[in-house]
Amino acid sequence: MSFGRPPSINVGFTTTPPDRGSFPLDHYGECSEQMKEYMECLKKNSSTSTHCRTFSKQYLECRMSKGLMERDEWHKLGLGDVEDATGTKS
Amino acid sequence: MYTSAVVILGVGVTYAAVPLYRMFCSATGFAGTPTVLSTSSGRFDPSRLTPDTDARRIRVHFNADRAEALPWKFFPQQKYVDVLPGESSLAFYKARNESKKDVIGIATYNVTPDRVAPYFSKVECFCFEEQKLLAGEEVDMPLLFFIDKDIMDDPSCRGINDIVLSYTFFKARRNAHGHLEPDAEEDVVQKSLGFEGYEHSPRAETRKTEGSKAGG
Repeated sequence: MSFGRPPSINVGFTTTPPDRGSFPLDHYGECSEQMKEYMECLKKNSSTSTHCRTFSKQYLECRMSKGLMERDEWHKLGLGDVEDATGTKS
Repeated sequence: MYTSAVVILGVGVTYAAVPLYRMFCSATGFAGTPTVLSTSSGRFDPSRLTPDTDARRIRVHFNADRAEALPWKFFPQQKYVDVLPGESSLAFYKARNESKKDVIGIATYNVTPDRVAPYFSKVECFCFEEQKLLAGEEVDMPLLFFIDKDIMDDPSCRGINDIVLSYTFFKARRNAHGHLEPDAEEDVVQKSLGFEGYEHSPRAETRKTEGSKAGG
């Protein structure tokens, strides 16, 4: 993680990486279906994110299961109160 | 005796000015510097990531730029998203490499208006690390972010209903230390970070080469 980051206190003082860094690229479009569902939901709900959080969760779940994102607990990502598609809260 | 001490102190302060300014910018989010803090600071504590349902919605607009040297098509997939403070939201950009060669890109970002920057936090994104696209490849780039709930308590942010998040993609090159950096003029890169109005001291690498040229 070198240039491009805005200047911060840590630059030049520590070498800690950013909190979750960057998403690896989805070269094979493995999670494109979930992404499309999320975009459809945004269009239907006039781009209000609250109604589409289930789809956000599904997309991130897809990324985690395909190894495109480190697995993390939902409440740490701010999606702890979102129901799964099956209706169970995690 | 005292005047010489004061003079030396003054000279020392001018040397310290650049890192102090950068620390000031990152701590206060001056000039739209997005603040990047480690998780141990509590900024990304799960309690900060719960939506504040009584608050008004803020519209986050997405902007995308790219350097001319970069043969990619780069654009946001949604023009804006209406979010609640504290609610983590997903947004997508798309990039397509239109050249016949593999290209490595590196992105920078900035948030306007400047006073919102301390509250704009990204959980995960696609910036600052190299992103390699094969020739002709198209890829979706997600970003997970939230606006901290404390923005509701800030009087200077009271009238803000719109925020613009701007990404700029550059072609990446390796600098003298082997690190990737944007392949563009320094002023163009600083502009993408929101620092175009400010004077910059020369970077350490250019200072050293100029020094050796002058001395050698």
